[in-house]
Amino acid sequence: MTAKAPMNLRRLLIGSAVFRLALILYGEWQDAHMEVRYTDVDYLVFSDAASLMASGSSPYKRTTYRYSPLLAFLLLPNSVLHRSWGKFIFSASDLLVGYFIYKILKQRKVAEDLCLYSVMVWLLNPFTFTIGTRGNCEPIVCAMILWILICLMNGKIIQAAVWYGLVVHFRIYPIIYSLPIILVLNPRKSNAHRPSSQSGMEASTRYNLWTAAKSMFSKERVLFGLVSGGIFFLCTGLFFHLYQWEFLNEALLYHLTRADPRHNFSVYFYHIYLQYGRQLSLVEKLISFLPQSIVQLVLISTFAQDLPFCFFLQTVAFVAFNKVITAQYFVWFFCLLPLILPWSDMKLKWEGLGCVGLWMGAQLHWLLWGYLLEFKGQNVFLQLWMASLVFLLANASVMAVFIRLQRFSPIFLQIKVSDSKSGVKSQ
Amino acid sequence: MIERLPSGVFADPFELDHLLHHGAYAAIGVFGDTNLELPSVSSNRSAVEIHMNFKHNTSSGAMSELGIRIDLPLHARYAPLHESGYSEVAFGTPDLLVSCSMEGSSEKRSCLIVPSSDSNRLRTDVVVWKIPCGIMSYTNVVSVVTFATALVSTLVIVLPSVLYSKPR
Repeated sequence: MTAKAPMNLRRLLIGSAVFRLALILYGEWQDAHMEVRYTDVDYLVFSDAASLMASGSSPYKRTTYRYSPLLAFLLLPNSVLHRSWGKFIFSASDLLVGYFIYKILKQRKVAEDLCLYSVMVWLLNPFTFTIGTRGNCEPIVCAMILWILICLMNGKIIQAAVWYGLVVHFRIYPIIYSLPIILVLNPRKSNAHRPSSQSGMEASTRYNLWTAAKSMFSKERVLFGLVSGGIFFLCTGLFFHLYQWEFLNEALLYHLTRADPRHNFSVYFYHIYLQYGRQLSLVEKLISFLPQSIVQLVLISTFAQDLPFCFFLQTVAFVAFNKVITAQYFVWFFCLLPLILPWSDMKLKWEGLGCVGLWMGAQLHWLLWGYLLEFKGQNVFLQLWMASLVFLLANASVMAVFIRLQRFSPIFLQIKVSDSKSGVKSQ
Repeated sequence: MIERLPSGVFADPFELDHLLHHGAYAAIGVFGDTNLELPSVSSNRSAVEIHMNFKHNTSSGAMSELGIRIDLPLHARYAPLHESGYSEVAFGTPDLLVSCSMEGSSEKRSCLIVPSSDSNRLRTDVVVWKIPCGIMSYTNVVSVVTFATALVSTLVIVLPSVLYSKPR
């Protein structure tokens, strides 16, 4: 896939780039002239951590820096070139996501106009262009996830595994994609999906225990697991060697054990606040994990073969059932939404608009109560908590609509076992 | 001015630094517990020291008063649970040190004033901040309804998934 991007995509990307540049410049002006900053607080944390790293200190000396040292390393030019260097990197990643969306959809034989509309869903989303220009690093993660998809689609298992190990080190949440990726790397399924357009191509494996075991531990799966795991542990080991327990606690363990009693979109926040300081029983801890685990397993077992759709549903569910939800997490599934739209039977009127209205409405409802609590000092904890229940139900309902209206589209076709060594071909 | 903050209230050093760069203060520093995230029960107290510069023209010779206002943005930590739904935090009187220098015709004179805590001379109202907090009696209901909602949401997602029919 080395052909030049068509003119319309080029115009779209250039226009989006110019707009993001303008936003970054505006952000600099607002930061200098107004009390309320345009720049995200997190960006200041990254920048401070990068300055510390530049001076030879640990980035974890900066309180609330809970990211990989790689991020601070990426932002070293903030201290040398310009403080907005990081924003340019994040916005460039945001544009790269747009390009990757186009590339993936083109490879899946989607029509040109539908490709461009899908790219616009990402590039013209107000949430998307503010997040990079305000200095949030999530677009980098999104770009890596999409690149992993492209590598998998093109059979580049090792490359996919390297980037996967790196992205899990960087952000941890992509670990939820490990099982569907492993499942999709299976060239010899016994109950193979048979696409009707491919005559004469059938999986014809004799199924026995040995074949099942061989299939479970296929070369691709073992390779992916070993390489990605190796990269993850290499990064972890390297940074532990450099920054000791500070790195492990702040960049890894904090995210695994995080239970923030402060209000956020999660249904669990009030429960955590009311129980704060009390030792929870094992049953109580398990119960809080159960909904998330059940949903993830069911989604993976049903949709793994349609990898982008599986990723999308898993991510929405992961965010919705998480113990802490902040608005930046939404971009994790916004970047996957354009990849599934061409196979959705959802009409804009009124299913699409209904889903947008329900999701945005639930969010705005929560924000209203949040404003009354934070800025007016009113005790609306109960109402805020109920708003978070409504938000969870809204997320679940939107997911149900997507599931009902999605045409299943496996990312790989099965080919005749005897004709191929790899046994996998991209659709 | 040294403002000793009561338990449950904190100043964000990064926010104050931003204001400092905007010229709101001559200098400012936060001492003590500067953790921005922990609730009140897991935090210690802190204090803020603010330096400000003022000019006062007394060339007319008449006695005049100088009114000074210092704004300090503060944040409330998550307070311990209370049945009333509010936790009250009372602020004490800040410590004030005034260093002045007077430029006269022939010599500079300077003085240092430490206002006494004598209530006759230092009139301050007690400042109380009512911070909303959680209500302990809601604990069981909140936990049960939270998990029930999570379960219902699980079913809302799982059922269509299980019933989803893939094309053959």
